[in-house]
Amino acid sequence: MKRLLAIVGAARPRRGHLSFIRFSIYAALLLMACSWGYLLLGTDSRLGDLFQSQTWSHAGSFLGQLLGLGSDRTPVYLQGSEWAEKARLAYKTLAMSVLAIGIAGAGAMLTLLPGARNVSNGDLGGRPSRIGSLIYYLVRLLYTFTRAVPELVWALIVVFFFSGGVLAGAIALGLHNFGVVGRLSSEVVENLQPNPARALRAAGASNLETLAYGILPQAMPRLITYLLYRWEVVIRTTVVVGFVSASGLGREFRLSLSFFNYTEVTLILLWYLLLVLGVDLLSSWLRRRVRFG
Amino acid sequence: MHGGGGRVALKFGLALFPPDLSPAFLSTALRATWQTIAYAVAGLTLAVMIGLPLGIIASGTIFSSSSRLRLPVIAVTRLLLAGLRSIHELVWAVLFVAAIGLSPVAAIFALGLPYGGILGRIYAELLQEAPGEPLRALRAAGASPWRLVFYGYVPMSLPDMVGYTFYRFECAIRSAAILSFVGIQGLGYQLQLSLRDLLFDQVWTLLLFLVAVIVVVDLWSGRVRRSLAS
Repeated sequence: MKRLLAIVGAARPRRGHLSFIRFSIYAALLLMACSWGYLLLGTDSRLGDLFQSQTWSHAGSFLGQLLGLGSDRTPVYLQGSEWAEKARLAYKTLAMSVLAIGIAGAGAMLTLLPGARNVSNGDLGGRPSRIGSLIYYLVRLLYTFTRAVPELVWALIVVFFFSGGVLAGAIALGLHNFGVVGRLSSEVVENLQPNPARALRAAGASNLETLAYGILPQAMPRLITYLLYRWEVVIRTTVVVGFVSASGLGREFRLSLSFFNYTEVTLILLWYLLLVLGVDLLSSWLRRRVRFG
Repeated sequence: MHGGGGRVALKFGLALFPPDLSPAFLSTALRATWQTIAYAVAGLTLAVMIGLPLGIIASGTIFSSSSRLRLPVIAVTRLLLAGLRSIHELVWAVLFVAAIGLSPVAAIFALGLPYGGILGRIYAELLQEAPGEPLRALRAAGASPWRLVFYGYVPMSLPDMVGYTFYRFECAIRSAAILSFVGIQGLGYQLQLSLRDLLFDQVWTLLLFLVAVIVVVDLWSGRVRRSLAS
């Protein structure tokens, strides 16, 4: 511990920061002790079960069932027709993730400027107004709220208004990611070079013209990069949101788990990994194109 | 939107004024909040315990550059980290609960594994970005690769590593809240109960608690990162 502090302190000599970091590390350690203590002692944690052979033989037989060992039926993941059947669901899941990113991106685009401090206080050459700063705080509040609530909770709420399906899941995912992307892209606008926008203003450009020629050309590559990053996160979560919104691979995962079709679970997990891997590759390829293209 | 969707949405929105602030429910909400925080912290601790050793191995810094083991070991560790983080924590939770039963330990593992994969990858990248000069000085003084890691790489990357771990704390809270789907106690669990009973004012109370925790953690981790960077 002393070593850790000495290292952190040696690298960062300033006094106030050092004491804050020291406070944070002590607070984090205290939090850790309380959490582990509470979970292992304060709840019925059944930690002892972990060291009993029975638990592990259960776990082993579950793994065996996932692989379809000891059953005379052909495992589902070796049947071509099942692969094709799940491909349709995987496509639905992919569509949900793209739709969600579209919703998040469109929302972020619309609130990009009112949510940036340097736009609302007139640093980019506009006229500061009381309404502008009111809208700024409202947009920031909206970002914080939508971001703080996880996708799955949004899905729980959204299925009350829409019936389940791809759209409900996409809206739930889109709401959370709107908060994430919105905040990031507003920060991009806040960190822009202000000169082009100011010059355009001084030359008499309108709001729209300043946006189109002064702000978007600088901000766009970063924005698209963030959206692509989020797409990688969204595709992982889409399956989970499918549990609730009853669509795509997630619904099938839940169903086959409740019917004890464990080899089907394996097939869905394989499709899931394929989707995640494919989106990761596609997104990193696209991101390289954005940066250099 | 289905037939009554608009009406339900209106009712949901109006339930915010006011949310359920009765003492009995506030104590339920506080308890659920603490449970969610506890799971997040415990899961993140496990994630650091997984991510730090794997990250150090995956960064390739413990091998001398001529070692024949270097490339295969790095490749295998990176693949392992990628596998851990590409499966969502809730899917891990479902699998763990099916395998070892419904218990807090299953939840901690479900959080710890994917976060370990994420932390390990980032730690590896931070270690590789450590500035070269002090390392060369150590090497010239005859330090072994292990000494180089513990006296060179790790101390130099530590501020960034601490900062990133704090940043992930916020995400861990959100993840802990949704573990309720496999039956783990916490904010998500209470949310599900209140939604099922159509008690929208309670839903708003719980949402406000969740937002408050996230905002506090966000401010704390932001300040830690700024202090480390300045």
